[in-house]
Amino acid sequence: MLLQGATLVGVGDVTQALTSEIIHLNRAIAIAMNRGLGEDTSSKLIRLQSVAEGWLKERGFRYLSIPPDSDRRKGKFISRLYKLFPHKTAATCSGLGWVGKNGLVINRDYGSKLSWATVLTNAPLVADLPTEKSQCGNCNLCVIHCPSGAVTGREWSINEPYREIVKYEKCSTMKKSRRLLEDRPNCGLCINICPYSRNGKTVKT
Amino acid sequence: MPTKEEVLEKLKNGVIQYDEDACKEGANEAIAIGMDGNEAIFEGLVAGMEEVGRLFEAQEYFVPEILMCADALYAGLDILKPHCKQMDLGVKGAVVIGTVEGDVHDIGKNLVKMMFDVAGFTVYDLGRDVPLDQFVEEQLRTDSELVCLSAMMTTSMIGMPKVIEKIKARNPNVMIMIGGAPTSKELADKWGADGYAEDASNALKEAIKMVSFLKNLRAEKEAEKKG
Repeated sequence: MLLQGATLVGVGDVTQALTSEIIHLNRAIAIAMNRGLGEDTSSKLIRLQSVAEGWLKERGFRYLSIPPDSDRRKGKFISRLYKLFPHKTAATCSGLGWVGKNGLVINRDYGSKLSWATVLTNAPLVADLPTEKSQCGNCNLCVIHCPSGAVTGREWSINEPYREIVKYEKCSTMKKSRRLLEDRPNCGLCINICPYSRNGKTVKT
Repeated sequence: MPTKEEVLEKLKNGVIQYDEDACKEGANEAIAIGMDGNEAIFEGLVAGMEEVGRLFEAQEYFVPEILMCADALYAGLDILKPHCKQMDLGVKGAVVIGTVEGDVHDIGKNLVKMMFDVAGFTVYDLGRDVPLDQFVEEQLRTDSELVCLSAMMTTSMIGMPKVIEKIKARNPNVMIMIGGAPTSKELADKWGADGYAEDASNALKEAIKMVSFLKNLRAEKEAEKKG
């Protein structure tokens, strides 16, 4: 595809997941980048997104870009639409991963270490096959190691997109109390512990 | 140096093509060649928004495009605003605007607010989920001529007549507009509101109409000056 520098790119048919405001944009281009230490993944992803935007615009297609840090973008008109479509849907519908027990997209090769950006469009792009089921299997490392007990261990499937997999309020409560004690409130254990995030090496519990 | 026409074209197309960078560039060029800020806004940005309204009606554009166009318009407006002379068109004023208590939907309200910004109104935006009495207090405090109430849900809309009644009781000359999906002309009449807009796109259309009216008025005044 036209995008250089992305770790992974996929196209998903997301017709099922659209609300009326964006019903015409039934293809999602999911762009993923491996988060390197100290690198500004977000701005790189946004650059890749604008490449895709330009490509679509030139050909007269409509699009809606959802930036990687969509929850932090406020004050713009268009930012109000970001929450209508999660990156996770783009990622799973384009077959680039499943939603793991840790509530994050897990890719076979990169685990949960990817940052995601989405471009929704009405261009009739050929869609990849979606991932329909969780591949976590019996692995419960993130359930066992989550310090706040937020990870329930329930498994995701494309048919139950709204099932509660992680109790987010437990996670965020712990982050808040940590913020009072130290500078680095983010925990990230559920990412680091995941065998897929360690390049697929299996770990004994 | 670009000509005036080129700059106006750039501003107009920037809005239509939801290209924020083009709008910023056009706005800076307008200032560089010493164009009147109001002319750049009305003949450039607003002209673009009028076309966007048309494209929306023709179902060429949908909600995401409208919102991106609005962002592009603001990008240009932010740069041009400080370079605007006060216009004397006989219509000036202040407006209090907000989404009523119990409602957090404010896209329509924000679009209307934008067009008031464009038209040179002083806008007192109370935001969303605004307690009913705050509208009354803010109107009194700012002595605004216009109050706009917005709601998307029927449950929160029922607070509107109370606000209208209170404001009209204290100051019968205040114009009140209501907007949002559950509102209708009948309700507006029944509650004594002076205007209504059904949804974000209709509100935008109404607001564009209002601004187009101002635009023509401005053109006439300019012509008078020259003539």
